[in-house]
Amino acid sequence: MSLQVYILRRLLFVIPLLLGITVVSFLIANAVPADPINANLPQNVLNDPEIVGAFREKWGLDKPPVEQYLTYIGNLLRGDMGMSIKTRKPVIDDIRQFLPATIELSTVSIIVGLVMGVSFGVISAVRQNTIIDYVVRIFALVGVSFPVFVLALIGLSILHAQLGWVAGPGRLNFVAKAPPTVTGLFTIDSLLAGQWETFRDAVSHLVLPSLILGSYVAGIIARITRSSLLEVLRFDYMRTARSKGMREFWVIWRHGLSNAMIPVVTIIGLSYGNLLAGAVLVESIFAWPGIGRYMFRASTSQDFPAIMGVSMLIAFIYVAVNFIVDILYYFLDPRIRVA
Amino acid sequence: MSISSTTSSIRESGWREQLHQIRYQLWRNPLVLIGLLIVTFWVVVAIFAMVLSPYEPLQQNVNDRLLSPGSGDHLWGTDELGRDIFSRVMYGGRITIPAGISVIVIGSVIGILMGGIAGYAGGIWDEILMRITELFMAFPTIILAMAITAALGPDIRNAVIALVVVWWPSYARLVRGLVLEIKNNEYVDAARSVGASGTYILFRTILPNCVAPAIVLMTLDIGNAILTFAGLSFLGLGSEPTSPEWGRMVAIGIDYFDQWWMWLFPGAAIASLVMAFNFIGDGLRDIADPRLR
Repeated sequence: MSLQVYILRRLLFVIPLLLGITVVSFLIANAVPADPINANLPQNVLNDPEIVGAFREKWGLDKPPVEQYLTYIGNLLRGDMGMSIKTRKPVIDDIRQFLPATIELSTVSIIVGLVMGVSFGVISAVRQNTIIDYVVRIFALVGVSFPVFVLALIGLSILHAQLGWVAGPGRLNFVAKAPPTVTGLFTIDSLLAGQWETFRDAVSHLVLPSLILGSYVAGIIARITRSSLLEVLRFDYMRTARSKGMREFWVIWRHGLSNAMIPVVTIIGLSYGNLLAGAVLVESIFAWPGIGRYMFRASTSQDFPAIMGVSMLIAFIYVAVNFIVDILYYFLDPRIRVA
Repeated sequence: MSISSTTSSIRESGWREQLHQIRYQLWRNPLVLIGLLIVTFWVVVAIFAMVLSPYEPLQQNVNDRLLSPGSGDHLWGTDELGRDIFSRVMYGGRITIPAGISVIVIGSVIGILMGGIAGYAGGIWDEILMRITELFMAFPTIILAMAITAALGPDIRNAVIALVVVWWPSYARLVRGLVLEIKNNEYVDAARSVGASGTYILFRTILPNCVAPAIVLMTLDIGNAILTFAGLSFLGLGSEPTSPEWGRMVAIGIDYFDQWWMWLFPGAAIASLVMAFNFIGDGLRDIADPRLR
């Protein structure tokens, strides 16, 4: 199968999924008992039919659901996700404002999680059933058992409040000014502007939340790496590689890991969803101005345009990441190419 | 798959043999035993919280606000309203444990039914049900749960409903795969040849064989359900603000960051319960699928 055909096939699979996601978000926002009017207008105007009516009309609440959905999709295709009831700004603008912070955080976190997870998984598999293996496995089990918000608080209290090694909540210090926006990622923007002080500040603020989020997914990645590598280590070609005098490190790296990576890549795609979910909790603790915190605020104030926009966006990102993972298979697993 | 083959081999041996097996496996997997002990501990504490706790969980005492652990008669200190943290943590299990179990049980029943029908009926039903399953799995759990809870209105019952909606697809997937495998066994053909109806075959000969793997997934999963429930509560989408629920207590504790006992003890309670379930689930999976050991 050529790469184009493969991508096309995957795309055919993804497009209905994306449409379905819009339907689900729309249904949740509309087929529910909670009345956005009660949630968003002050008590004293609820009895005023004129204000309530105007509100209904403004948000299209008086049309039948199917028509509402079609209007919504039409607007969505034009990049219009409606107005956030809470911030009174277009949802798309809010997302544009908050998304870079989340991208910066989640990218660094997935790298941290990957490095930690794969290395612990490999160590654990190579030293199977030794004390190191047990320690790694128990640590992984304990790690995934802690609510991410409790880990965040423990981290803040020890590494920030007690030891002062890393900065606390926020993306920058109070007094610091954000670097001129190019990408929206403070670390890259500050480097582009040559502001070293800001760069150091941004990194210092990134360390703790990305460590927490990273270790949140590292446990799962370590577990999968271990079991997948253990399976590969049993194959005859591993013995062949050793018997021809290859160094143990290269045996594991070239013959072991490269064959064990397929399940690991799958799990990276899947744990990206965990990461985005964990981002909601971590961002709300670290006052990190990303879409996770935006989602949190929207959901506690029943700001449905924002809730729909963000949950759809996150589902889209999740689907896109897994789409990329599928494409990666093509390169990792030669069997797909012949099939 | 080896999960189903292991369970069927257990089924063949007698119950005495089974008991021996269980004892042997517990001895080989001490973590399962530790997990069982911790879970039992929390269940007992939750049931007898009324008798065991030194204070009422909602009882406020303005003179004893924000006492640190050990001061006065408060082992784990008090919160911003002078409520006893130790007592509140003891009561917390009353909300979290039933919530986690309901999510898993209701979610798995729905999932097993959906997966069973999809796998057994096949064709268009399989196609429709599996597309729906994929759709729900496209959302990261807590995001979809947040949207649903926000829509239904934040309280414990709605948080559980939201989590059920999020939870059933993984069971549907698992069971569908198992049913596809089991469907071709000779005893299913045998049942069909004696004239058993489709419903009978599905519910009496196929689904019972899916229960054991589903239970392994349930124990692996319940910790996750509890974590997500606590997360929803932490975000203010679960329990009432005053209720002694662990996630909610941590959330309140953030405003009193320096009074670490306000968030650390309820947080540790969640962690210990989840960890115990993970120990059990992990051990059960090792027993069911020894390749991963």
